[in-house]
Amino acid sequence: MGGVIHRLIIATPCAALALLGAWWSVGLPTGGGLWPPDDVTLAEAVATRNNAEALRLIQRGADPNRASPVREGLLTNGYDVIVLPVEAAVAAQRADSVRMLLANGASVDDRELRVLRCLERARRDSGVREILDARAPGEPDCNDLRLPTDRTR
Amino acid sequence: MIQVTGRSRATLLSLVIAALITIPLADGLYRVPIQVSDSLEPIVVAQKADSTLSLLKSSITFSPTTFRPSRYLQARWLLQVADKTGLTYNAVFRGVHVALLLLLVLLFLLAVRVRDWTDLVAFTVAFPVLIGIHTFVAMLLEAFPVNHYAEVGVCALAVFVLAQRPPRWFIPIVVCAVLALALSVIESGAMVWVTAICCAAAGMPGIKRSTVVATTVMFAAYLVLRYALGIVSPGIGAHGSGFGATFYSAEEVAQRFDAHPAAFMLYNVTGGLASLLFAEPRNGVYSLLVAWRAREIHPVVLINILSSLATTALLAWYAVTRLGTKRSAWSEADRAFGASAAVFLINALLTAVYIKDEIISVGGLFYAMCTFIAMRPLIESLPRRSAAVAFLITFFLAADAGLWTFRVAGVHYQLRYDAFKIRNDWVEVLREDKQDDWPHDRRELALTRRLRGEALERRTTSPSFMPRWGDRYWVE
Repeated sequence: MGGVIHRLIIATPCAALALLGAWWSVGLPTGGGLWPPDDVTLAEAVATRNNAEALRLIQRGADPNRASPVREGLLTNGYDVIVLPVEAAVAAQRADSVRMLLANGASVDDRELRVLRCLERARRDSGVREILDARAPGEPDCNDLRLPTDRTR
Repeated sequence: MIQVTGRSRATLLSLVIAALITIPLADGLYRVPIQVSDSLEPIVVAQKADSTLSLLKSSITFSPTTFRPSRYLQARWLLQVADKTGLTYNAVFRGVHVALLLLLVLLFLLAVRVRDWTDLVAFTVAFPVLIGIHTFVAMLLEAFPVNHYAEVGVCALAVFVLAQRPPRWFIPIVVCAVLALALSVIESGAMVWVTAICCAAAGMPGIKRSTVVATTVMFAAYLVLRYALGIVSPGIGAHGSGFGATFYSAEEVAQRFDAHPAAFMLYNVTGGLASLLFAEPRNGVYSLLVAWRAREIHPVVLINILSSLATTALLAWYAVTRLGTKRSAWSEADRAFGASAAVFLINALLTAVYIKDEIISVGGLFYAMCTFIAMRPLIESLPRRSAAVAFLITFFLAADAGLWTFRVAGVHYQLRYDAFKIRNDWVEVLREDKQDDWPHDRRELALTRRLRGEALERRTTSPSFMPRWGDRYWVE
């Protein structure tokens, strides 16, 4: 009997993994399982460094110039925000995402450029700054400007 | 009769456990898109060739240090399969990758041959070792675009399984066929010949002199062919490799170590063996040294070292207590252990010029095999030992199994991470803002566009949605 208990104890970790494997496998046909693909907005895809998903969403018709919600914990702590994809890219300090969005239809006017440059001053990234400063050199005026990642209420 | 029932239940349960652990792993592997690096170029080359024969001829001249004709041929055949069946390229290439994983698991099951409850308990430790060892995940992540290291692993395990069986007339033919396949995909295919020799040297029944002679002649012919074609082995500085706490680029390796090649090679071989036995170094870099310098050690380093150290201690115990006698007195299990240990010891020699986890991936498979064999007598001895000793051994084995199981969970994490990274790599291919860099050949452009489109449609999760602590516990 003692031998059986010893054997059960030794086998427990692997048995637990097998049970977890069964649980993950059951979820597979319905798109679940362990860490299934994200269901994200365009801005969230950018905020999570998922450029491929962002590009897929744009190719499927998502508007790169339309703001979308980003759940808390991705760009901000404790509250959700609604931001443009390019704002999400700047806030996430992703120069590659900014470049990808600009190459795939995102447009940035003077007002938005000021917002982005001020956002970059708050979340510094040399790669992002290089892209933005190429469009408007000099220091931006960030006085009285509410950043898109600020809490609204 | 009772034994037969017990055997069949234990065997069935081992199959169920293996399947339950492997299915989600296969899913994770299938989700990884075809890689850009190492895969896009051979696929394009394979497609553009006028014929299979011309591809075979030209592939010989692709590199002065490698002879891998099947690399391009396999890519071409898989492209043709996709075109004929209407399946996506990703489905076909990644399907082959998954099939290789399943074959590895199946061959491991055949090699360990779970017959009773003791075997089953030994299997529940050895199987996580097989999947959780760092060389296994390195092997899974590789693709050229077909996973050649996994092909070599399958061939080597197949030879081992044949060696366990009674001798048959067809064994030399089959072993020569898998050796030819392995050698035609990558230089590590030599491990198939090594496996056959080690099995024969250990006195395993299936490999007789005829197989040894036939495979040795074939391997010698391979070396002569390489020489005749002017293909040389890569020297020091052909690849980046680690030393101490630093990973050096190929140029840096040449600069630093070209004057002392013997010392560097000795460091690499020792490191390759230590990597298999103690999970350190990784690609030549000792994470413990990095941690000492940074004054911070990540839990993954401790988990990997402790689990490997405990398992290696078990293997050493078995080797000391069982293999001290003459070879003629060895049991069937002793012979399998001796052959497996010899394979992973010799595998370390292949890291002489540079260390990469994939190079010692065959050794990792046989390390798990040794674990199974060494576990069995220890578990069997538990009822005969005092309660205190039995408890200590049980605690030791359960803790070791727990750590290895945790390492297996990390394989899922690394596969998801890899899928995310590779899918994002495709964003940099055919960039809208760099259309001047696009291929000018229409067929190449169409193929690249299709591969890119398929990769983008292969949705993955972002690490942002996976546990934040995953990096510290699973990624070294």
